[in-house]
Amino acid sequence: MTTGAEPAIAHPGRTIAFVGNPNVGKTTLFNRIAGIRAKTSNFPGTTQDARIAHLENSTLIDLPGVYSLELDVSESVVCRQVLAGALAPAGEQAHVPDAILVVLDSTNLLRNLSIAAEAIAHRLPTVVALNMSDLAARRSIQIDAAHLADCLGCTVIACSAHTGEGVHQVTEALTNATVPTRSVPTENHELDRWVDEIYATVATAGTNPSDRFERITDRLDHAFTHPVLGVALFTLIMTGLFWVIFRFAAIPMDMIDGLFGSLGDWVAGVMPAGALSDLLVNGVIAGVGGTVIFLPQICLLFFLIALLEATGYLARAAFVIDRLLRPFGLSGHAFVPLLSSHACAIPGIMAARAVPDRRDRLATIMAAPFMSCTARIPVYVLLTQILFPKQPGMQALAFTACYVIGALAGLGTSLLIRRTILRGKSRPMALELPSYRIPDFKAAFRLMLDRATVFLKKAGTLIVAISIILWWLGAYPGSPPTQQAQDLRTQAAFSSSSTEIENLYTQAEAIDARNSSANSFLGQIGSSVQPVFEPLGYDRKLTIGVLASFAAREVFVSTMAVQVVGSEDVDDDSVLASIANAKRDDGAPIFSAATSWSLLVFYILASLCLPTLVVTAKETGGWKWAMLQLGWMSFVAYVGAFAAFQIVTMVGG
Amino acid sequence: MISESTNLASKNTPKRTVPLTQLQRGQSGRVQIDSVANDEIKMLRAMGLRPDASITMCRHGEPCIVSLSGVCGGGCRIGLAKEIAGRVLVSIDQ
Repeated sequence: MTTGAEPAIAHPGRTIAFVGNPNVGKTTLFNRIAGIRAKTSNFPGTTQDARIAHLENSTLIDLPGVYSLELDVSESVVCRQVLAGALAPAGEQAHVPDAILVVLDSTNLLRNLSIAAEAIAHRLPTVVALNMSDLAARRSIQIDAAHLADCLGCTVIACSAHTGEGVHQVTEALTNATVPTRSVPTENHELDRWVDEIYATVATAGTNPSDRFERITDRLDHAFTHPVLGVALFTLIMTGLFWVIFRFAAIPMDMIDGLFGSLGDWVAGVMPAGALSDLLVNGVIAGVGGTVIFLPQICLLFFLIALLEATGYLARAAFVIDRLLRPFGLSGHAFVPLLSSHACAIPGIMAARAVPDRRDRLATIMAAPFMSCTARIPVYVLLTQILFPKQPGMQALAFTACYVIGALAGLGTSLLIRRTILRGKSRPMALELPSYRIPDFKAAFRLMLDRATVFLKKAGTLIVAISIILWWLGAYPGSPPTQQAQDLRTQAAFSSSSTEIENLYTQAEAIDARNSSANSFLGQIGSSVQPVFEPLGYDRKLTIGVLASFAAREVFVSTMAVQVVGSEDVDDDSVLASIANAKRDDGAPIFSAATSWSLLVFYILASLCLPTLVVTAKETGGWKWAMLQLGWMSFVAYVGAFAAFQIVTMVGG
Repeated sequence: MISESTNLASKNTPKRTVPLTQLQRGQSGRVQIDSVANDEIKMLRAMGLRPDASITMCRHGEPCIVSLSGVCGGGCRIGLAKEIAGRVLVSIDQ
């Protein structure tokens, strides 16, 4: 990374654990030492991440930031287990670390000394890094590192991960780290007294420490947490954030779409036609493409949120939102996950890691997929157009209603589970408000890469597998060309007009595609499942559309297109019109007003996204919550769609 | 869980113990927390709101923002939901 920051940590295979409070620059110091060799890994069976780096002769583990190693929160439990040698990041062998690096904030030493004491109590070779020494100097805070080393019985190095100063000395000290020569009190009162005594002898503050800094922070805090101004600023900032995401993610998304499209065409052209080519093009490439297309939104979202968090603003915003979400049993921490879910539930659910309380986090994860994500938009567009042809005002109103219904269903879900299975109020917030800072773009970029990798690796493998299965169900057993289509082709062979030949062939292919779709396993399942959807007003074709969108709801429009037109090119207005005017097998229109409303409500509420279920399972540590989510959302969607169908039918739709 | 422990604040000037929410803006006090701790108190302790810690009120209301003034440089601010702030007792000079 920088000169002088290269580690020279000897002892082959030594493992060094980084311990410290949140917001002390621990990860910055870790990145400074490890550079690009660092990667993110998770702790098996938890939602906690660690950054880990394999250097020449040592392994560095950046443990989650904790206020104390002794708390009953998952971060502290993970730290305790790692220090006891009972847990290691995925892929590592668990053993007691060979050394601990305790990272302390020099500007906040009084509080930070407690965790140093807790680390020393583990009796492992220990080094203490007094980070942010540059900031301390600017605020006229002086700390006698040598005297502190005497008090703690271990090496103490003043450093600044931000500027790189002293980092080299930290890595050197780690090679010679020894078990602290002093013991520390463990009982609370004694520990407090020990901390106070040491603090009084090693730290001296300037006479008038940073009054100006305090005043500015005071004013900003006041504005950002104000009941009215705070909400207004928050709305403004978030609108900006999402404008950037929607505006700029579209460009790479189109590129990815085009890239996978060309790749599919290329493979289809190069390989001989047949099952393998079909599997690669319509199964693997389409499946991977359909997943990777979410990547730009995920990257941009996490990058911007990391930047915003680094400024110190997000901690203030959490309090503003806490007031609004509390009545629904959600805490202010739930806000970013819920808002993110309007782009895509996957990053939303992943962002729920920031919710500290387990029950609050589960309620957030259950509410998140009800938010109207971008994948619902094509379905909303189709159905609002069918319901209100040539009435843009009504279309917009119906569109907005979709978002409101989704959000209300999510909040209602949270309210319900907080009264039943996750009984209790959301935990009132106590949150450190970090100093306002200029964000570190490099760190935000790293975090974005981490999240992107996690998304691609974990969800990707399973999504691809399921896409292949769905492709297979939709493509097999296949059916021979129908007599009707053969007749059209014969007719074309005798025609002299080229447009007529083309028309006849298109019709013949549409008939074959319909027939093949009806005869496929998915089609057969559709026919047998259709009675279940009869009360909602769906015929066999709609049932297939709904079943096909089980893995991804955006598939609905193209599935309907395949069934009624025989072409997946739905950008064409005439294709949309064909879907709108499609007939049931008995000749009645598929999209009556009642059916359209019912379908719209169904798509707002139903859990039609396999990746979301996979991510829910990953983030909650098992399939129980994912299955509950699927069951509950399907139930709500079914009841909602049934009610919509019956009501509209009754009022004469 | 949080008691009016007087032994910790036995200084010469007479003290009065009040909920944190009653501190005026800019006023300082010393935290009084019982040693019998539940999860919430353990977390507050770890965040720096430990017995006898000196804190200064920066903003009233929801949230209430306090500065750990024992920390020179004012680097450490903690936002507390009013519900929590009402349960934290502080001793102030009469």
